[in-house]
Amino acid sequence: MPAIWTDDLTKYYGDVRGIEDLSLSVEEGEVFGFLGPNGAGKTTAIRTLLGFQSPTRGSATVLGADVEDTDALREARTRVGYLPSEPGFDERVTGRRLLEYHGALRGDTRSDELLELFDPPLSRPVGDYSRGNRQMLAIVLAFMHDPDLLIMDEPTSGLDPLKQERFLEFVRTERERGTTFFFSSHVLSEVRKVCDRVGIIREGHLVEVSTIDSLLDRSGKQVRVTLGDSPDEGAFDLPGAHDVTVGGRTEHEGGDHADGVTTVTFTYTGGYEPLLRALLEHDLRDLSIEEAPLEDVFMRFYDADAEETVERVEAEAEDA
Amino acid sequence: MLETARYEVEKRLLGSLALAGGLAAFAAMMALLAPGLLGEVDMAALAEQLPPAFVAAFDLEQMGTMEGFLAIELYQFLWLIGLGAYVAYVAGGAIAGDVETGRIDTLLAAPISRERLLAENYLALLSPILLANAAVFVAVFAATRFVGEPIAAADLVAVHTLSVPYFLCCGAFGTLASVTAPGRLVAEGVAAGGIVGTFLLETIARSSDLGWLGAVAPMRYYDPTAILTASEYDLAGAGILLVAAAVLLAASAAWFREVDIS
Repeated sequence: MPAIWTDDLTKYYGDVRGIEDLSLSVEEGEVFGFLGPNGAGKTTAIRTLLGFQSPTRGSATVLGADVEDTDALREARTRVGYLPSEPGFDERVTGRRLLEYHGALRGDTRSDELLELFDPPLSRPVGDYSRGNRQMLAIVLAFMHDPDLLIMDEPTSGLDPLKQERFLEFVRTERERGTTFFFSSHVLSEVRKVCDRVGIIREGHLVEVSTIDSLLDRSGKQVRVTLGDSPDEGAFDLPGAHDVTVGGRTEHEGGDHADGVTTVTFTYTGGYEPLLRALLEHDLRDLSIEEAPLEDVFMRFYDADAEETVERVEAEAEDA
Repeated sequence: MLETARYEVEKRLLGSLALAGGLAAFAAMMALLAPGLLGEVDMAALAEQLPPAFVAAFDLEQMGTMEGFLAIELYQFLWLIGLGAYVAYVAGGAIAGDVETGRIDTLLAAPISRERLLAENYLALLSPILLANAAVFVAVFAATRFVGEPIAAADLVAVHTLSVPYFLCCGAFGTLASVTAPGRLVAEGVAAGGIVGTFLLETIARSSDLGWLGAVAPMRYYDPTAILTASEYDLAGAGILLVAAAVLLAASAAWFREVDIS
């Protein structure tokens, strides 16, 4: 039985689309990254899974409980932890009192242990907490009943880098213990550290589900070559080469003869052999082949137009 | 069991105590001032100079006695309208406020049903209601005996006991506003305004041919002046208030169970 399963899950707010035809399955023990830009529908999906709102269409189960079956879902929530991105608390109550209250609601088997890792100032009113301390309190509340499934909405927002690292390490340890995670984020690099698979959501639709490795494989390598000769236009029109950029020729005045190099960069998704054959037809001075930066890969999936948009807005600003 | 009710009572304890203390102080002051005022001013003569409709609307013909004076100066306004509107206002802000701050998300992520959350929030309203009742009862009881014009203990007990169904009805109305209104401010405004509004409606309706209009006003079923000056206990009215509270609460729960929380 999958920990989370959705079939054509759709949620509209009036005419406004939240998510549409979302079908995915998160297996038990898996860490599933749910990626997308702000406003893509990540939070809508999570709120629907938790039963805060009913789907417009389609269906979903959480730990086997239909999200529209209120009583079954309530029973299932004994084994679910929820970590919101901006947790709301009573401001005047101390952290300790909140911990006690939530412990009474859902059970408390491990808050002592959690407080060693995440240590909000429990004796102070929550209203005095910094953003990071609020998030740490939320982490303790989400994990205190030792849930089997964690649903997390941008859980590291507000944590400083050190605490972020500690949290991700904690998630890895929990994964070893068999806990399932559904982890929404817009920061790929953190997702990459912990997730087995990712789903990418854009404008309410799930556009991709794959393992991190396969995402990287298909997204190709970043190739950068330095050539002694001047390649023709289209010299690197290989199958699998994208975004070829031929830099200007740089002349070096040095020693007895004038020297010059041209830098060419492109993204490459094909095999190594044809690439190397093509390169060796030139006067190859330097070569580097690296994994494409994950952020670039990510951008390709959900916001290919970002650069254009920025340029257009800036151009308009200049005109104005 | 009742973790939420306990938590909400604790959270509001200071406010409830301050409210109870303030009401008790006002009640004691009124009771202590009453003999002097009633001795100097001929209330009956004063009432004759006012328009008859005005006198009838506010039961001013009763002003001449300690019972009547307290009924009008304390119970008929500050108690009935002030505390009634306050209870409705607090109930109105409860769920609506939790939705607005997002606090409700962390609560509903726990294995607790929405109906239970609503019911326990409602139960927590008993703390300001009961504290205010106890404090004002003690203040009036002691102060009227201190100045030597004791109010019949049975009447005083009745005016406080029968106020509980009335306040529960105000709270249930506030709860309905809390789950149906689009935001906290609206919920609080509708809740408190509803109590004041129905009071005005009842006052106007009583003095016109449209007496039936006032039937929706909870004040029709709890009359502190009649209890204190004539020892008339409207038990049927209390029953109606309890039934109304149950109906309002059931409607709130049914609505809250289905509504999208955003």
